[in-house]
Amino acid sequence: MAPTAQPTILSPSELSYLYTSLSLNPPIRPDARSPTSFRPLVAETDLLPTANGSARLCFADGTEAIVGVKGEVERTGGVGKQIGIREDDVEMGGIEGEEGTGGAGGEDWWVEVTVDMPGQRDDDAMVVFLAQMIHEGLVADGGLRARLVINRRWHWRLYIDILLLSPPHTYPLPLLSLTAHLALLSTCLPAPVAGLEKDDDPIFNDDWDAAIPLYPSTPPSSKAKANLSAARPPITLLVISVGDNIFFDPSHAELAVADAVVAVTVASSPSSTDDLNLLAVRTIDPPSRLSSSAAEMGQAVEEGAWKPKKGGMSRTVLRKMVGMCVARGGVGEEVLGGLEGFT
Amino acid sequence: MPLDTSTYHLSLLRLDGRRWNELRRLHAQISTQASADGSSYLEMGNTKIICTVSGPAEIRGGGRREGVERDNAVVNVEVGVAGFSGMDRKRRRGDKRTTEMQNTIASAFTSTLFTHLYPHSTISINLHILSQDGSLLAVCLNAATLALIDAGVPMKDYIVACTSGLTPPASTLGGSRGGNSETSDPLLDLNGMEEQELPFLTGAGGTVGGDVGGGGGWV
Repeated sequence: MAPTAQPTILSPSELSYLYTSLSLNPPIRPDARSPTSFRPLVAETDLLPTANGSARLCFADGTEAIVGVKGEVERTGGVGKQIGIREDDVEMGGIEGEEGTGGAGGEDWWVEVTVDMPGQRDDDAMVVFLAQMIHEGLVADGGLRARLVINRRWHWRLYIDILLLSPPHTYPLPLLSLTAHLALLSTCLPAPVAGLEKDDDPIFNDDWDAAIPLYPSTPPSSKAKANLSAARPPITLLVISVGDNIFFDPSHAELAVADAVVAVTVASSPSSTDDLNLLAVRTIDPPSRLSSSAAEMGQAVEEGAWKPKKGGMSRTVLRKMVGMCVARGGVGEEVLGGLEGFT
Repeated sequence: MPLDTSTYHLSLLRLDGRRWNELRRLHAQISTQASADGSSYLEMGNTKIICTVSGPAEIRGGGRREGVERDNAVVNVEVGVAGFSGMDRKRRRGDKRTTEMQNTIASAFTSTLFTHLYPHSTISINLHILSQDGSLLAVCLNAATLALIDAGVPMKDYIVACTSGLTPPASTLGGSRGGNSETSDPLLDLNGMEEQELPFLTGAGGTVGGDVGGGGGWV
């Protein structure tokens, strides 16, 4: 998909210098970070009184996002036609096993993600893509929608409203994804006191202090743990490659010379010894493809002037990228652990 | 559920325990966001708003402007009501009340900012309503003033605003509980519940220059 990045203001020789220092071994980043280290970020949770869960996150480049999560109780059979359509889709996809557990497993559309950006229309391609990518990650492992089931006739509907407060300086997907992750971690739903049997109307506890977190810090029982495959909402990380080197949390200047930009979505795995679960990998057009020099490809390369690389990315690099994200003790786990410290 | 404002005449205390002239808790922050030219965060009770200002800047591809628009900066206001801001989740975009609020705020600031210093440019004010509990327009105006101060846009005056409502006269309520008050009392800084029940007006003014404009709404 297309990036939002504004055209770079760096000159060809500056880009060349940047590219060379990033492709050295060991690489030198402009701000002297190590390839896997993140810039400092500011976060707070539970800031909105009218939302079930909320979070605010500021990245070091000044971009800021706020996410509010709201839950509503909805009748499972209430929108019959819509469900009918979705079930057809499942059948066509050939996933027969889903059909039987439909009641227990929940539906993807119970989670709704909207993204709001200043100065962008609601139906702007960029906004729709971002919302869809975050939604995709959230429902990919089925853990979240399974938590939304109350009983056979009632379920929670989760609205995740993402507000980008600043103009998108760099590609905003990781910011939005991490903020949504934090908001979901802080989300609490009212505790049911009655009506958990098959068809009863549920009655909820009025006491907000008794509300149950959507993602409990320790699973209530080992059985519940087995049912819900992921104990943490997924996160999406932006990874770039320059030559054979891989960098996390790229700055605007680093994105400008990236050979490949990849968004990797990972979620924690049920057992503590395994690697993280890989949910999605998406390649994003690096901004260099849009720059003026890309149009001149095929001309003779001048010494000291940088030209964007032609062609796709190598499979070894992609494998290394994914490995760094999902490995035990890798970057994905470090980010998940760091975010947990904010709540 | 209708709100019973008649109890006001018995104790002279409002539903949230305030007297007629008491404001809610006010909390303001400035320079909350590094990437904006100016930004502010304002809480008045449970109404919470983030405001960011960008500009004065030349808008590319904005087309040619003629006359007054060419010689002055244009103030652009965008009010975004977050889906999670109210009790029930709903999306309000392009709704008439929001559009009216945008126009009111834009015209109020066009008259106070020295727009003639920035020809061919645009000052855009983005207001994000995170949580709403009454006095929306007043809080928006106050937050925008703070953000414009942070952005360093020259202005002849600070715009401040407050909502005031009117209790129904006790005599119209029937019965004898109203006692002797025949006239209705003004209330300052209405919250969301009072706003649903009472007629109210948002007044905006400057600190030195007197009245510079204002907008109001009757329910």
